Amino acid sequence: MRLSRRDRVVLCAPLAILLAGWLVGPAVLGLLATFTTYSPFVTATRFVALANYAGVLQDPEFAAAARNIVLFTALAVPLELIAGFAIACALREPMRGRSALRVLLLLPWLISPIGSGVMWHYLLGSTDGIVDFVLGWFGVTVTSPLGDVRLALPVVVAVEVWRVAPFAAFLLLPGLVAIPRERWDDARLSGSSSLQQVVAVAVPAVRPLLLTVTMLLIGLALGSFDVVLILTGGGPGNATLTPALFSYSSAFATNDWPAGAASAWLIAAAVLVIGGLYVRLASERDE
Amino acid sequence: MKARAGVLCVVLAVFLVPLAWTVLAAFGVVPDNSTRPPSWSGSFSLEHFADVGVAEPTFWEELATSTAAAAAAALITIAVSYPAAYALARSRGTNGLAPVFVVLASLPPMAYVIPLSDLMRRAHLLDTFAGIVLSEAAVTAPFAVYVLHGAVRQLSPEWEEAALLDGAGLWRNLMLVALPLVAPSVVATAIVVFVIDWNLLLVPLVLTSGEIKTVPVAMSDFFTFERELEWPSAAAALVISLVPVAILVALFHRALQRFTLQTPAESSDE
Repeated sequence: MRLSRRDRVVLCAPLAILLAGWLVGPAVLGLLATFTTYSPFVTATRFVALANYAGVLQDPEFAAAARNIVLFTALAVPLELIAGFAIACALREPMRGRSALRVLLLLPWLISPIGSGVMWHYLLGSTDGIVDFVLGWFGVTVTSPLGDVRLALPVVVAVEVWRVAPFAAFLLLPGLVAIPRERWDDARLSGSSSLQQVVAVAVPAVRPLLLTVTMLLIGLALGSFDVVLILTGGGPGNATLTPALFSYSSAFATNDWPAGAASAWLIAAAVLVIGGLYVRLASERDE
Repeated sequence: MKARAGVLCVVLAVFLVPLAWTVLAAFGVVPDNSTRPPSWSGSFSLEHFADVGVAEPTFWEELATSTAAAAAAALITIAVSYPAAYALARSRGTNGLAPVFVVLASLPPMAYVIPLSDLMRRAHLLDTFAGIVLSEAAVTAPFAVYVLHGAVRQLSPEWEEAALLDGAGLWRNLMLVALPLVAPSVVATAIVVFVIDWNLLLVPLVLTSGEIKTVPVAMSDFFTFERELEWPSAAAALVISLVPVAILVALFHRALQRFTLQTPAESSDE
């Protein structure tokens, strides 16, 4: 099947228009604007080079947000991958009701991040919550860990892992199912334990898929906004503030448009740097 | 085998008990944590579903808006992504290009919604259905291109080559030869994209100022303005917002089995 140059242009044109108008275009124009004082609320615009970025990077609030998101990503992504991988391994072999289970386990992901935030806000609280209910049997009363400076970030991570891990399992399962049976049998006959089998057989076989899922999860974690907005609003103090929350409130709440746009581009830059690494790793496999 | 069943039971408990708790609360059955030991209170009722409409008078309208916007966005995403994915799969030297779409799919909307909201305001698309739909379609298009290009690549080009000899042109090959063969993947991708669009918050949030509202935006309003809902009403709103996507996923669970991010490497026989 050979496509002519013209065929390719025609086939890709609708996508190119959509992305140029609503994704790549705004992103690039936004980047250019971050080197100026541009804001829809003011009339005069002048070039300021990197001053907006310098301002954001010197802001202690942004520093807290950057620290939080590094921690958040470093905790959430591995946990999502490990939990997702474990669930996918448990569902690997055909059994009665597997497809029903696979759909049931997607439920946490079907709830919006905002819905999951609303739900856990109550479940972690004391009057209607699940945590207090369980601990109440032991005579312990809890206050919501979301109000605790040290616990808030780990709890937000846990809530996000609860929502995303089943989706990671859903994405990883087809890769595990596609591994030929003989490879598992070989590993089993050579006497390796279940964990060794997974490491020796499954991980290499799904490496490209694992890379892609990791990339998507990292992007999701670095952009964390919805779930934090509802659970803690960034607090207590700045304990769970993320760059996306910082950027949103700069641009739309305090009307500091340049700070919002510049900090948003710092998120994009982080994703693009990791994306560059991903593209290199993903292309390697074919050589 | 026993160990695996044990693992699955724990997994099910961890992931589904919180949801069951929410469903019970939506029907009025809530825990009473002030007694020792804790007990259950309330009796089964449907009134909290009606409460949602009282607390948020436009909730049902928002539900309709959300459904229509997510469906339209998913359709546009698939319509523009499938031809591009086909071109990507049937061209040589594109192995390095496909991962670029994964990177675009990973880009958090926050990275570009600030300038996007400004551009939409200038284009008079703020607070419009079209503005939301097109912006949501753009969020999910790179993901759809990547998945669909893998699906087309799974397909042997023989069918299209045979059709070409019979005089089929590009459009006949695209729509009548290849599309039926990858239809399950296309349907599965459309479902996943619909769910992503349905749950988007940031994009509709910055593109609207109250004229038109989606369910996630309404839910964020419930809480950010100090007018916190009672838990049973919030739970009822959650359950209502989950039902459309849950029904969709249950209906198409067979097609969803075909959903995969795996892409075979470029064939070298061309």
